[in-house]
Amino acid sequence: MASEFAIQSHGLTKQYGQAVVVNGLDLQVKAGECYGLLGPNGAGKSTTIHMLTTMTSPTSGEAFITGQSVTGNPVHIRSLVGLVFQDSALDRTMTVDENLKFAAALYGLNKQRASERIDELLAVFNLEKKRHLKLLALSGGQRRAVDIARGVLHKPQVLFLDEPTIGLDLPNRRAIWRFVEQLRREQGMTVFLTTHYLEEAVACDQVDFIQQGKLQKGGKPNSLIRDLAAFILEIDCADSESVAAQLTPEFGAPLIEDQHLSFRVQDADIDFSALQRSLGDTVNAMQWRRPNLNDVYLWTMTHHKAGVQ
Amino acid sequence: MSLLAVKAVMQRELSKTFRQRGRLLSSMVRPLIWLLVIGSGVGSMLSGTQQEGYLQFLVPGIVAMTLLFAALLSALTLVYDKEFGVMRMMMIAPIAHGWIVVAKLIAATIIAMVQAIMLLVILFAIGLLEWQAALLLLPPAFLTALLCAAMGGLIAVWSKTLDNFAVIMNFVIFPVFFLSGALYPVTQLPDLLRYVVLINPFSYGVDLLKHSIPGSQTDFSVVTDLSVLIGFTIAAILIACWRFSRESVHEPLFRGGKKG
Repeated sequence: MASEFAIQSHGLTKQYGQAVVVNGLDLQVKAGECYGLLGPNGAGKSTTIHMLTTMTSPTSGEAFITGQSVTGNPVHIRSLVGLVFQDSALDRTMTVDENLKFAAALYGLNKQRASERIDELLAVFNLEKKRHLKLLALSGGQRRAVDIARGVLHKPQVLFLDEPTIGLDLPNRRAIWRFVEQLRREQGMTVFLTTHYLEEAVACDQVDFIQQGKLQKGGKPNSLIRDLAAFILEIDCADSESVAAQLTPEFGAPLIEDQHLSFRVQDADIDFSALQRSLGDTVNAMQWRRPNLNDVYLWTMTHHKAGVQ
Repeated sequence: MSLLAVKAVMQRELSKTFRQRGRLLSSMVRPLIWLLVIGSGVGSMLSGTQQEGYLQFLVPGIVAMTLLFAALLSALTLVYDKEFGVMRMMMIAPIAHGWIVVAKLIAATIIAMVQAIMLLVILFAIGLLEWQAALLLLPPAFLTALLCAAMGGLIAVWSKTLDNFAVIMNFVIFPVFFLSGALYPVTQLPDLLRYVVLINPFSYGVDLLKHSIPGSQTDFSVVTDLSVLIGFTIAAILIACWRFSRESVHEPLFRGGKKG
């Protein structure tokens, strides 16, 4: 059954004993989109991915990949998806070539097709010369690249990346994102990712925040940033309570971290110099900047916590 | 697609095992020590003709021992792959998870057979076995290897960690071997132990191997041996596949991520 959505879920829930890890998730990701599920540790991101890729079954609710139920024919669903796990699933005692050939055979690729695909992927990551080295001899970034190559060997329709760049340095992170972008551009692959590096999620078409298994807020990253504020005003001061009381009527309640206050400023024409003068000696330092996705995340999660409390 | 995947899992096992030539060679040490040290030691307490007869009696038992250790230890890779995360690479592939078990058990059987053939060549070379008898031992050796692999698979799918597996191996492998009639005739055992031998499927593998050596003292008929071996092996493989396909077995692998 053709579907405009590559990924869909309705009330997707996972419960381990009394603990509800994922709670009634409703997702809709269009084919060819890049979707980011963002949230703190233990929020339920990986469990969501595992349910969508048939690695674990939902306690209730349903999920579909390209319109096909993940519980109906799991073997077929696994041929449609690629999954790059948070930590490597490769055999460290085998070479890059052996690992990739093994993975290719698991997906039913014949020797010639596998070899061509491995050549192609190793070239993308500049790993041709490492082909016959054992995984143990590779750097963390190179191992991650091989892991991603394994996940896309069979050209899946939907690629799931669980923290794909965790622990990698900037050049390696950039290389991996360039590759993901290339996959989307050239193959129209749908990408579902989780990441702690929120600046990377700006490239997504759509993001959602998840906290304690529940979706909080979502949308296009740039819209979320634009809707949050025109500026973020950050103030360091000894008496944060009195400064907060002074500025809250104008800017709304701040985020408070010890002596550090963050306000959302909606007025794009505000005169920060005048504001600084009015605060006088009560502040140690003051700066303003454009908001980013980290701010959206922090404000969303803080509001959720406040709601929970 | 499943056949290619099964072949891939098998090939991985075989290439990983056979590239460790030291492990293969050292696998010959255990049976030869048993045969030459225990065989000679126990044999020295017997009179002349009995002494030679005991060494001959031990041959099928020692072949069975090689099959038992090789196949059971090869089944250990099911636990190893789970513990080191490689199993996830196989589980995300588009094959029914039961096929992973089947592939691993076929590989374990082949590995056990290769070791048994190596031993048979050595036994022939040192004059303890005629080549005709060595050839006759191959079919029952194959069935016994398959049985041992199935037993190993059954244990492996219930083991969560390598530590756990090692404990089970110690509590399983030695009792299974010692109470199989491999080292001494079953008829001379006390009643209680004889009953244990009767419920030990490995006993029937040892007995079938004995049937291949002309003049050997056997405890069961060939039909009984074949029925138990085939029946138990099929049942064990089916149970192992069923168990391995259950989500609860893999829950630790997929219960969230490391951090998310």
